[in-house]
Amino acid sequence: MIFQRRDVYLWLLGGSAGSFNPIRRFIQQMPFQVHVAIVVCMHRLRSLRMGMVEAMGGTQGWVVLEPDDKTIIQGGHIYIAPADYHLLVEPEGYFSLSVDEPVHFSRPSIDVLLEAVVGARWPRAGAALLSGANKDGAWGLYRMYRAGYFTAVQEPSDAEMPTMPQAALSLFEPHRRFTADRLVEVCLYALSL
Amino acid sequence: MFNEALPEIPDGELERFFQIMLTQYGMDFREYAPASLKRRLGTVLKRYSLSSLSLLNQRLLSQPEYLDLFINEITVSTTELFRDPSAWVALRQQAFPLLAGLPQLRIWHVGVSTGEEVLSMAILLQESGLYAKAQLFATDIDQRALEQAQKAAYPLRLKGLYQQNLQAVLPGIPLAKYAREEEGKLIFHPSLLERVRFIRHNIVSESPFGEYELVLCRNLLIYFTPTLQDKVVTKLVDSLIPGGILMIGTKESLFWCKAAKRLTSLNEIERIYRKRL
Repeated sequence: MIFQRRDVYLWLLGGSAGSFNPIRRFIQQMPFQVHVAIVVCMHRLRSLRMGMVEAMGGTQGWVVLEPDDKTIIQGGHIYIAPADYHLLVEPEGYFSLSVDEPVHFSRPSIDVLLEAVVGARWPRAGAALLSGANKDGAWGLYRMYRAGYFTAVQEPSDAEMPTMPQAALSLFEPHRRFTADRLVEVCLYALSL
Repeated sequence: MFNEALPEIPDGELERFFQIMLTQYGMDFREYAPASLKRRLGTVLKRYSLSSLSLLNQRLLSQPEYLDLFINEITVSTTELFRDPSAWVALRQQAFPLLAGLPQLRIWHVGVSTGEEVLSMAILLQESGLYAKAQLFATDIDQRALEQAQKAAYPLRLKGLYQQNLQAVLPGIPLAKYAREEEGKLIFHPSLLERVRFIRHNIVSESPFGEYELVLCRNLLIYFTPTLQDKVVTKLVDSLIPGGILMIGTKESLFWCKAAKRLTSLNEIERIYRKRL
């Protein structure tokens, strides 16, 4: 089965403690883009199977959902990584889930998602890493940077929990540093490249 | 200090891996979802300090005795007692009444791994008064996991989680009714496995070996491509009696499976289906 879905731009957001409000604000404010899929990988309690989509509130026309395994990636959609599964992007244009061991004590892991995008050689993608109390996502973002994708990191001084952005900045200087209130702007810039 | 780097898996080496596994061992990994397979292979390489997949390929070629260990490493053994408690509650409330009146209850656990799922089922059957007429078949590709499953002994650190899950499914039933602590392990009562047969079986390449009233295949399909999911689900549905129950993982989907037409949904959220009569 071959899917022709790889024309979609993947905008990836990773965060942990302190990232929920900035990500929710972004989701509420981001103008609808038919060729963009937003993928959110946020650490959360494994028991919280339901309610994350509703907690994100209204959007500018995006469809918000937690993908099932093998859900086809479509533009105009916001995908929230489900609790207690890793979320991966497959080269053929759909998501896969896995219950492999947690990475940095986290499942879903931001590293796993970002590295899968690199491994899938997804044609167009960008990623932003936000507040968090561990270093999950830093390595994956660096892999994206090295692979030529757009990368952005929240200013540690702006982050409620600076460990995660600091971990990324200890590895490389991303294309953009941002404060949470400029996240929509950063995304629109990435899309314009 | 970062230590996250997994060795990269070039496509050529991956093709060679597929070829070795198929020709030497009759195992076909070509229809495994590539992103998670590559990650898993990378993890194995890192664990064994192998810098490339070609080194693993050489080892698989020259040391057939390494195969069991490799299969144990490459297969994912994440499971727990009553994982996703609400799914077990739904199974008991919605599926068991449909099965209770049948003369026998043959249950197939596909990809049972280290056995917590079949123990969960045995406890649920006991508490529902159905265990005496049940026969459970627990299969997996991983011989080492099956051996571990037959011991029914787990690290004591899991006790809290297991107690919590058990309470969510069967309120008021203490874990101590079914498991005891001994030498740092949580050991389940051997009577729970009296009606269980553990069998090495590869659902990808082998046919089902029986007919069942209930089949569980949870969080295994996620490792397959849509094409392989379709093939495997067809086998699972074929193996069910008319009116039999299929339970898959709560985030797994039958979207790509033609055999889904032969099922009706019993609980869509918990992914419990019934084969049409």
